[in-house]
Amino acid sequence: MLDKFSRAVVSADSKTACIGGAELADLKGFIAEGNKRLDAVNSVASNASCAVSDAIAGMICENTGLIQAGGNCYPNRRMAACLRDGEIVLRYVTYALLAGDASVLEDRCLNGLKETYAALGVPLQSTARAVGIMKAIAVAHINQTNTEAMAGARYTKNDQPQGDCSALTAEAASYFDRVVSALS
Amino acid sequence: MKSVITTVVTAADAAGRFPSSSDLESVQGSIQRAGARLEAAEKLAANIDNVAKEGYDACIKKYSYLNDAGQANSTDTFKSKCQRDIAHYLRLINYCLVVGGTGPLDEWGIAGQREVYRALNLPTAPYVAALKFIRDRGCAPRDMSAQALLEYNALVDYVINSLS
Repeated sequence: MLDKFSRAVVSADSKTACIGGAELADLKGFIAEGNKRLDAVNSVASNASCAVSDAIAGMICENTGLIQAGGNCYPNRRMAACLRDGEIVLRYVTYALLAGDASVLEDRCLNGLKETYAALGVPLQSTARAVGIMKAIAVAHINQTNTEAMAGARYTKNDQPQGDCSALTAEAASYFDRVVSALS
Repeated sequence: MKSVITTVVTAADAAGRFPSSSDLESVQGSIQRAGARLEAAEKLAANIDNVAKEGYDACIKKYSYLNDAGQANSTDTFKSKCQRDIAHYLRLINYCLVVGGTGPLDEWGIAGQREVYRALNLPTAPYVAALKFIRDRGCAPRDMSAQALLEYNALVDYVINSLS
């Protein structure tokens, strides 16, 4: 597993070069924006169970066949497995966001996931849709753009002094996109 | 590769939980110290060849017998390789300063070091002399800030200890 720093080291070592100049400037940016990143991880982790249940519920609302007899969320046992998997994906995305590198997500979660789901008969399109909803929720929390109109009764606002989080939002979104593309 | 963030993530993953506030706290701690480390890495990267040359010159001056025929510094090829080895250790120190741990030195420098030097019949005392010179040569605030120099010297000491 690599993070932003060890990724820089591994790529510099492959060229037998020192880390200086542009790479260091990038890492200094990571340090300077460190608090924002921790706030972002915190806001996603704190709202995890809400995000997961909303994503799975949303997926089912759009495709109610999933909870009818023969659907992949039909008995509670399979619905519970679905919620558990949603939480696992979201957890690895928060790890990747904390580390600033996708390797933990790729190595420990996505590697072989598509094949596993295909073997178990899990519909990949529905999974991708649930991940897409989690992406929207995570982005809204990091960017503080979640509104009462969007979240309804479950609305919570995290008041953190932040600033411009567009770079972090884009990074978090890219990790969710990786999950979606690994499943398609 | 081990660093503070990967250690935290590994622990959280083993427990199957989201990053907790204490996890975030320990990452925050390492981020606070990272400024000095990155400064040291930057200054070292900018001057690595000069630093290596000075260390090399100092150790050859101390162990002048190495220039005799058949010794480790007798030909131009040997000379350039000696200097390259010093620069190699400095590069690994640069990596360690970036990740905030001794992972790169442990994995790419120290593992198997003894066996390699014995197989090639190289003395380790000159390496120690060169690194000791490099360690004593560093000066704050001329070369880098005091905190940065502290981080840098700790890693040079780590290499010296591994060789002695």
